[in-house]
Formats: sequence, C-alpha cells, structure tokens
Amino acid sequence: MYKYLVCGVFAFLLTLNIANSDIINKNVERVIDLSSQLVKISATITLENTGKNTESSFLVILEPNTLRNLSYISVKDSHKDELKVTPVKLEKYGDKDVFSVKLNQQLAAGRTAVVNLECIFTNTLVPYPSSITQKERQLVRYFGNHYFYSPYITTKQTTSVVANSRSIETYTKLKPVSQSDATITYGPYTDIKELQISPMTVHFESNAPFLTVTRLERLIEVSHWGNIAVQENIDILHTGAKLKGPFSRYDYQRDTSNNHHSIKSYKTILPAAAHSAYYRDSNGNISTSQVRVRKDWIELELRPRYPLFGGWRSSYTLGYSVPSYQYLYKTPAGQYVLRMRLIDNVFDDMHVVELETSIVLPVGVTNVKLNTPYQVERLSDSLTYKYLDTKGRPIIRLKKTNLVEQHIQDFEITYDWQPILLLHEPILLSIALYLLFLVVIVYVRLDFSLSKAEHVKTQ
Amino acid sequence: MVQAGRQKSSTMLKINSKTGFSSLIIFTVLLLAWIAGFSSRLFAVIRFESIIHEFDPWFNYRATAYMVDNGFYKFLNWFDERAWYPLGRIVGGTVYPGLMITSGSIHYILHLLNINVHIRDICVFLAPIFSGLTAISTYFLTKELWSAGAGLFAACFIAIVPGYISRSVAGSYDNEGIAIFALQFTYYLWVKSVKTGSIFWSCMTALSYFYMVSAWGGYVFIINLIPLHVFALLLMGRYSNRLFTSYTTFYILGLLFSMQIPFVGFQPIRTSEHMAASGVFALIIAVAALKYLQSVLSKAEFKSLFTFGALTAAAIVFLTVVVLTYTGYVAPWSGRFYSLWDTGYAKIHIPIIASVSEHQPTTWFSFFFDLHILVTTFPAGLWYCIKNVNDERVFVVLYALSAVYFAGVMVRLMLTLTPVVCMLSGIAFSSLLELFLREDDTPRSSESDADDEQTTTSNRRLYDKAGRVPKMKHEQVRESDGIGANLRSIVIVVMLLLLMLFAVHCTWVTSNAYSSPSIVLASYGSDGSRQILDDFREAYYWLSQNTDDSARVMSWWDYGYQIAGMANRTTLVDNNTWNNSHIALVGKAMSSNESAAYEIMTSLDVDYVLVIFGGVIGYSGDDINKFLWMVRIAEGEHPKDIRESDYFTEHGEFRVDAEGSPTLLNCLMYKLSYYRFGELKLDYRSPAGYDRTRNAVIGNKDFTLTYLEEAYTTEHWLVRIYRVKKPHEFNRPRIPVSNRVIKTQTFVSKKNAKRRKGTIKNKPVVIKRKTLTTKQS
Amino acid sequence: MAKIGAVITKFYNEYSTKTPKKLKIIDAYLLYILLTGVVQFVYCLLVGTFPFNSFLSGFISCVSSFVLAVCLRLQVNPENKNQFYGISPERGFADFIFAHAILHLVVMNFIG
Repeated sequence: MYKYLVCGVFAFLLTLNIANSDIINKNVERVIDLSSQLVKISATITLENTGKNTESSFLVILEPNTLRNLSYISVKDSHKDELKVTPVKLEKYGDKDVFSVKLNQQLAAGRTAVVNLECIFTNTLVPYPSSITQKERQLVRYFGNHYFYSPYITTKQTTSVVANSRSIETYTKLKPVSQSDATITYGPYTDIKELQISPMTVHFESNAPFLTVTRLERLIEVSHWGNIAVQENIDILHTGAKLKGPFSRYDYQRDTSNNHHSIKSYKTILPAAAHSAYYRDSNGNISTSQVRVRKDWIELELRPRYPLFGGWRSSYTLGYSVPSYQYLYKTPAGQYVLRMRLIDNVFDDMHVVELETSIVLPVGVTNVKLNTPYQVERLSDSLTYKYLDTKGRPIIRLKKTNLVEQHIQDFEITYDWQPILLLHEPILLSIALYLLFLVVIVYVRLDFSLSKAEHVKTQ
Repeated sequence: MVQAGRQKSSTMLKINSKTGFSSLIIFTVLLLAWIAGFSSRLFAVIRFESIIHEFDPWFNYRATAYMVDNGFYKFLNWFDERAWYPLGRIVGGTVYPGLMITSGSIHYILHLLNINVHIRDICVFLAPIFSGLTAISTYFLTKELWSAGAGLFAACFIAIVPGYISRSVAGSYDNEGIAIFALQFTYYLWVKSVKTGSIFWSCMTALSYFYMVSAWGGYVFIINLIPLHVFALLLMGRYSNRLFTSYTTFYILGLLFSMQIPFVGFQPIRTSEHMAASGVFALIIAVAALKYLQSVLSKAEFKSLFTFGALTAAAIVFLTVVVLTYTGYVAPWSGRFYSLWDTGYAKIHIPIIASVSEHQPTTWFSFFFDLHILVTTFPAGLWYCIKNVNDERVFVVLYALSAVYFAGVMVRLMLTLTPVVCMLSGIAFSSLLELFLREDDTPRSSESDADDEQTTTSNRRLYDKAGRVPKMKHEQVRESDGIGANLRSIVIVVMLLLLMLFAVHCTWVTSNAYSSPSIVLASYGSDGSRQILDDFREAYYWLSQNTDDSARVMSWWDYGYQIAGMANRTTLVDNNTWNNSHIALVGKAMSSNESAAYEIMTSLDVDYVLVIFGGVIGYSGDDINKFLWMVRIAEGEHPKDIRESDYFTEHGEFRVDAEGSPTLLNCLMYKLSYYRFGELKLDYRSPAGYDRTRNAVIGNKDFTLTYLEEAYTTEHWLVRIYRVKKPHEFNRPRIPVSNRVIKTQTFVSKKNAKRRKGTIKNKPVVIKRKTLTTKQS
Repeated sequence: MAKIGAVITKFYNEYSTKTPKKLKIIDAYLLYILLTGVVQFVYCLLVGTFPFNSFLSGFISCVSSFVLAVCLRLQVNPENKNQFYGISPERGFADFIFAHAILHLVVMNFIG
C-alpha cells in the first residue's frame, strides 16, 4: 500500500509537467469486442508529439463511471513491451479517472509512436430484456462512446464493434457506419476534440455464456514431501437474462441446438502436471466431468449438476495436486521460492468478482516475503493445524476483486525453512507410540503387583 | 478392570507360552474378521463414493454435522424449524443421540490430533468400524457361553453375515450400525456379571445398556430379555445370590441411566414395555428376602411368615398396579409394539407403519438370503445349548427364541436375530469340528456342570481350539481312530465347502443387494458400461442453490430427510413420522385435484412441491407406486374427502392408463408426475407417454397446470419440482405480449416485497395450524 | 398373629446372636436408607411429585443405594463365600464404591 502511494505521488509529480503537453492522437483504430460476456476494448494509437519538448509519458482517460467496471488495463508499445500504467489524479480533469503511461523510449518533438491500449470491462453488457422465458433468445445491450475518449485531440479514428452474433437488433448510426456479419464499423471520424462523448448503443443477441464467478477461494497447500495441493471453492452465477416462468425439461431435451442461453458445461484448464483431480460439491462427487489430457495442459470439461439458466447459481469444489518440483525452487542463498498462479483458469473469458487465495506454507517457515504481479489486498495471516501439527502452519491470505483472464499471473513467495522439520511429525508419532508402549509396560507391571497383593490379602 | 487384569495375570502364571500362541491366533482371527468385515462393507464406497446412503442416515448426518458445528449442548436443545413446517421438531428430545455423540467424539479426538477428517467420512465409515467391534464382542459373548473356538466362528460369521451387513455398509449411517455392537456388548457383560455376581460387571452392563439406550430404540429388547432371563432362571429354581446382585444392580442403574436420554425420558417407569423389568426386580427382591428368611428360620416358622408376607405383598402389588393404571402413570403399549404381537394390527390401524417396507413380515426367502447356511446350523447350536444348559445358556436360548419370533414379524428385526444366529451357528460348527478333529484323549462330558471351573476349562479348550483353527487337520485325522478317517475327512470337506459357499454368498449378497447408496443409481448398458443416474442430488442441489433459503418444500415423507440434508430447505413431513395427521394432510394434498390441493398447499405455505417419477427410466420406487399409501393415510384422517376405492378402476385395479379411474387421473400426484410426459417419446418403438415403470401409456396426456408451474425436472425426469404460484400469478387477465414483459418485471419485485412481509401475512395461517394440531392431539 | 409375633422375636434373637458385626453395620445402613426412602415416598405422596426428575433421582438413588448395600452384604457375608468365586470382601467393597461413584454422578445430573 505504502509503495503504491509513493508510486502515485511520484507519478503525480512526474505528470505535472506533461499536463499541458502537445500530444495528439494522429490515428486511433479501436476494436470493441463484445463476443463474450466481457467488453474488451483494444485501441492502436499513433501518438504524435507536436510540441517542442520531449515527452516521456502520456495520459489515458476513462469515460465517466466506468472505472468500477474496469478489470484490466495494459498498454504496450510497438515492440510489445509492457508500459508502466499508473493511476493519477489531475486537477485539470477533475475527478475523471486518468492513467499515466510511461513510455519506454522518449517521444521527441515531432516524432510519432504507436501504442496498444487494452482495457477489459466487466458487467458492461446488460441483458435486455432482463428476464426471458426458456425459449426466448438472450439479447444484450452495450452502451459506449462512438469516439475514442482521450485527453488529446484525435485526428482520425475508426471503431469496429464485434458482436456475438449477426442478429443485431439495433445500433446507433453515427455516419459513416456499416455492418457486415457480426461486425459494425464506425468511422473514420476526423478531428475529434478532447473528451468528446457521443453515446453509442448496440443491442444484439448473445449466446455467449454469461457466467460469473461470484467468489473463488483458492487454497494452495505446500508440502515439502513433494506435493502441492490446490483446491478451489467456486461459486458461479449465470448473470445473463433471468429465466422467467417455468423450466421445462421436455423443451430443454428437444432443443438440441448448441447456442442456447443456458450453460450446460464449460472447460477448465489445469496445469499439465496436475493429477488426482476431484470435482465435488457439498453433496458429494459430481459425476459428470471429463478429463482430456493435452500436450501442455489438462482440459477438464465440467458439467454442473444442472444446466444453468439466468439467475441460477451453483457452487462446487475443484481440487488437484501438482508435483512441487515445478513450482518450488531453492535459491543459492538457501531460501525457498514458491512461484504459482495467483488465480487460474476457471473458464474462458471468465469474470471473477472476488478472489481469495490462501497459501498454506509448511510448518516452521520464517522470513516470508510475498511478491505479487499486481496490486492485491493482503489479509491478516492465520494459522492452521494439520496432521498432528504442534506448531501451526502459516497461511498467507490474499484478496482481490474483479478479475479476468489477464490476471492469471504468478506470485512469488520466498521463505526460510529447515528441511529437518520434515521429520517433525514422524518423530512425534514414533515418540507417541513409544510412550504408549511404555505406558502399557508400566501398566502391566503395576497390575501384576496389585493383583498379587490382593491375592495375598485373600489368602 | 481389576478383575480382568487379575484373570489375565493368573492365566499368565499358570500357563506358559502356549497361551501366548493361542492368544496370538485369537488376535489374528479377530483382526482378520474385522478387516474382512470392514472391507466387505466398502462396495458402495468403491463403486460410488464416500456418501451417506438412504433416508434416515441423512438426518443422522445432518444432526451430527449440526452437533459438530454447534456443540453438544446446543444440539440437545436444537429446535429444528426446518422440519415439520409449521410445527417444527425438537430434535434434541426426539433422537437417540448415541450415534451422533459417537461420531462427534471420534471427530473431536481426531481434530485434537489435528487430523482434519471431514465429519462426513467419519459418518460413512462408522458402521463398518463398529462391525469389527461387534465381531469382537460377539467373540467374547460366545466365549462366555461356550468356548473360544465357537467365539471365533461366531465372530467370523457376524463379520460377513448379510443380515447384519444390510444395516452396516459404509454410508448407512444409522442407529443400528452401532446398536448391534452395544447390544452384543451389553449381553456379554450381562452374562459375565451373572457368572461372577460382581457389582463391577453389572455396573458395566448398566453403562453399556446406557450406551445402547442412547443409540437405538431397540434397547427395549434388552430391558425385556434380561428380566425374562432372570425370570426363567427363577422359575427353573436357579436363583443364586449372584443373580440377585447382578440383576438388581443392573436394573436400578440401568433404569436411572436410561432416563438420562431426553427422548426416553420417564418412559422406563411409565410405559408397559418397561414394566416387566420392574416386576422382575420386585420379584427377585422378594425371592431374596424369602431366601434370607429361609436361611435364618426353621421350616414351620418360615411357612407362617411366608403366608402372611405373601398376602400383604400381593395386596400391595395389586393396589399399586390399579392405582398407577387408573391415574394414567403407566401408558399402554405403543402401536409399534402392538404390531409386534398382532401382525395384522398395523395394517388396519396404522397405515403409516405398514407403509414402510421394512415393517413387513419376513419371508422365508429373506431368512435364507440374509443368513444362508446359518439358518440351518443355528438350531443345532440351540440344541447344544439346551442339552448342556446352565445359567447363561438359558439366556442365549431365550435370546434365540425371542429373536426368531421378532424377526418373523418384521423384516427390520432380522437384525436382532442375526447375532444370535451367528453365535449359535458358531457353537454348532465348533462342536462339530471338535467332534471330528479331536484327538480322542479327553472325552468332553464333564462340561455341563463345570460352572466354577469355567476359567480353567475354557483355558484348556482355548488351547485345543487354537490348535484347530490352522490347517492341521490332516495329521489329526490320521492319528484319530474313533470315527473312520474317511468319514471324518468327508465331513470336514463338506463343512469347509459349506463355509466357503457361505462366504461366497455373503459377498455376493453384499455386493448386489446391500451396496447401493440409493441416492445415486447406476444403470448398466448392454456393453457393460456403467451410467450413473445422479438425479436425486441434481434436484436437491438445484433446490439448495436456486430457491429462497426459507422456501418450503412439500414432498412425500420419504424424502424429507434427504431434502433437509442435501437441499437444506424446510420440509413439511419427513421420515421421523411422529405426526400422522400432518402426513395425512400432505397425502390429502397429493391425492386431491389441483384446486383442492392448492388450498391445502397455501394453508401450509408451500412454495415448492417435489415428486419422484420413475416412468422415464423405469425406477419402481417412485411416488406413483407409493401413491396408494398416501391415499390410505389420507383416508385415515380425512375419510370424507379421500376414499381409497375412488382410485381403483371398477375391477379394483390400480392403473394409470386410459382405463384408470378419473379421480386418479386428475389428482395432483398424477398431474405432477406426468406433466408434459404425454408429449415425450422415449424411443421409436413405444408411443408417446409410455410409462416404463408401469408399462402403460398414460391415460391423461394433455393437461395444463393452473396453480403450479414446473420449476425443475432432472435429467432423467426422476425428480420433478414444481413451484406453487402465488394467487396473483394465475388470476391475472390476459395482456398483450408487449405489455406482459413489463408486467412480469413489476411483479417479480412485488413478489420479493411480499416475501419480506411474509411472516406477518402468514400469521393467521400459523394459528390455523395450531388449532389443527390441537385437534389432532 | 401371636405365632407371627413369636417368629419375629425368634428371628430377632437369632439375628442378634449369629450375624457378624460387620454385617450388622451394613444392616443399620440398610435400615437408614430404607427409612430415607420411605420418608421421600411419603413426602411425595403428601406434597406431590412436581419436579418429577428430582423425586425420581432421589428415590432411585435410595433404592439403588439399598440394593447395592444388599449386594455388598451378600458378597461380604462369609456364608456366601462359595457363591462369589474370586470376589473378596475388599473387592466387593471396591465395586460398591465404584457403583456408587457412577450412580451419584448420574443422580447429580438427573436431579437438575
């Protein structure tokens, strides 16, 4: 958190002198991908420095009230290198959500640079009508902006909107505009002012799975015996149009077409080394799943117990084990490094509302350091006891909201640990057994003497 | 403990390493019996998964989980408002908590050691583990009764006998699983205490009896059998001070202990089932007093005192009985016990008891099926016991006779017969083998009167038996010369064959008949592939995830526990069939037509109705097949509205096809089962609406539901859930489609608002129920 | 009636001469318990059994103390030595104590 603040302040200071920069967007090619439940906006921006000073950064700005739906933002330059994006607050833009992007190579006066901006928004496609019967089609609406929203003047821009199906009910027609198949092309528009908004609406049929993971609890248990157990408790909710009226199994069985708004199954991808996977819920195994082993991963086709219609929820537990040698390393300095994914694939184009990752470290680790790929909230550590533990195992708990596929990245934990601790439990067990035998021996001896005494007494 | 230790040490002194060898063999055999018993109960876990079976175990599991989560005291005071809506159920006072406490304490101990086993797994494996304990206590009991060899036989038998496995497979987490152990152990301690006359052993008997009371309603069997034993001994003139000590101590402590269980309460002094025990208690005290006087006084003096005493005693007893019965302290026998004496009683008076398949009289087939060759060998053992009778053999004889009777009355009580059959068969086999495998040096005649030297004889026999168990038979056969060697070997081979057949039969029965979890069904394709039909859990899970948390689900009582356990929703009736009229009300709703049923359902605040329908896959245990019981139970309480004869055709048949009676074809159960089934074609050969369970095309195909709508139907149509519409949903006028969307949107929110207000709005309904219940009680 | 009276006096005489002192102590204890039980019973008849479990636990504890003492008496009595094989008076007394321990634990619980 502290680091974050420092960063922000630093960026703020940095951006003070670029507030009145002379950058323009020479050309913007924007693609709004609505083919899944997410809104993926990617824009290729050609920046031109029309001023006299060399610029080292530029600004990206979001339309009002979209920040809470923003799940992921990244900017890459023409070499596909990630650029550093920092949220800043600028007086000039009031309470608008501004990001400052630091360029890897400074933009000299009069030069141009090409950058790729990628934003992913969740909860932005709204089903309309919001509830439908089993037989009706699922329609969704997208509200956007015809223009690329930017603090700079845009010389020329085109936008193409990719819908999920070719059946598009309506869309706003700001000329020039054309539709072919599932794609609507807006523009080219020229000479757009800063912060220009022109509302765009697209209303179309979407049979993409509108499936939201409302909560994902990921538990990683590290054992130095060579195994890392991963368990994910997943709550899912169909966030598409709600089912209105009855569900008829008869109609459902007759309708064999694949593109239906209900969700029958989806695929989860596990690491290639995963083994002994299980798929269950509070009532036991869910017997309908298939495992396909691919070259680089394992594909798990999961079928919930029932097909999911709009507004229906389900929850399940998925667990598997991976060998630790792929994820646990020892540094030359004698420290251990655990490098695993903070979140893993649940299904394609997933949207995770809330993630809580817990990492259970072995008994007796000290000096734990955590390194995450992006900002996460670290909850207070806790302890757990397993298998005859006397000392607890520390749990590192992390939390983050609003995640998408792009967040599947590795975290890193380094810690000190003595390998002798591995023998902790076997030694404990043997001591306990030894004591037991000892007690039995003593008991037998004691018993012997007692009864003898009694014998003497009776005689 | 002291005494056991002493015996152990004294035997240690007397006997050298050979006892070590024999006790090693005993230990090994018992261990093997345990392992065999445990593993043969795991078919269901291996074939399916570690899951709770059937119906009642789901309640036990739910209660255990509640106890583990909330602690023991909260469990004892648990008022379950999710069952028997709107009455609720005081769970703590209406269960035998022994089962929950047992698994809860296992869970607690394991968690103290930080071994995080889920309570479900403990519950699943509890019965198989206890089967091992049962085998061990059977061994001890048989050893006390006859010999260690017979005990080993009995232990092996009980470990694998289907009659017991049927109630103790992994996952069948029910009272019987631990109760049989408690039963056997109590009997063992009882026999032990009768033998020694020690207060200690009878205290242990009482404690074990306490455990039994806490575990199963079948404790009544113990509290009647032991007095019966005492009474028989008194009649046979076998009174001894030992008997007095053991019985009086056991009875008074057992009485006190049994009243500690909230569910039992004051029953032990108030109901007729327990009166025999107190009668015998009074009797034995009287006898003891007389005996004492007899020892002090001369014969003539005794006589005069006796007449006086007898007269006063008789007057007092008579008066107390009259007064107690008159004031209503002693309750008459409960229905279930009546049905034990008069097998036709339940059928006429209590259809709810008769409707349970396990309360039906036992068929000869099931005797053989559950016990196999033991059926034939146990009379032999019984005869041995009668022939060489002594105090404790009287007990086993009585045990056998009463258990045979009860098992004949009710399939369920086969369970109490099984242990004694195993013991007596063990005795029979052991005697037989003894006869045919013995080196003829010590004729075994001095056995029947060897009461006091029991320890020494048993030690000697123990050694012989131990030598017999491994395959040393060839040398022994060769040495012997009493009976022809050929005859011996033939008999032994035949016997071994029989035992082998028995083992094979047990395994076969266990794997085929008793290892289905019944909530997961498996069907086998023609190519041997297995398909799992998981419809029950599908439906229950749907309910748990997609209905309001306080939704009330109406179903037939069979599924009450499962709905509560797996779906965690409020049910109206469940397998704890304590309130017959409530069940009858549900039965009435199911057997009325839709509008009449709707009235009942709204008065009961029903949100969802769940029916089981097997017509698509040919599952025979579905609600239509149980339907006649619903009608009968409903008729018992509402004879004006429901008549069983209405549901039969003119020829007295129960059929669902076009010739079925119109009442049947329009009742709620029929409609809910067959809603839209008339359109379904199962395969190309059969016509649409062909019911595979009843092999008929259904009679009423095209109908719509006014007051209900299909909410969910599982993949194989096995479970169908309907939502009961609110009044404004079916009364609304026709509106053009364009407006309808808006309309529904508003009423969705309206419904939510109503839900929130629900408690206030439903209040009058609750009062209505109250009046109903008072009327019933 | 007079005959009965004679029998009783004879019984009393025989009892006071033949019974060992140890047993007499136990008999006194028995009498005391018997009286307690009777008092309790009379009380319940007069006042009522309102806390039924309390009455029961009190009464049953009386009865069981009585019964246990009788058992102890039987076991201690040298005349019955042959019937109680392997139970010495000490052993009998230990058992008696054990039984009382569990009895009173339960009574405590039950009396509420």
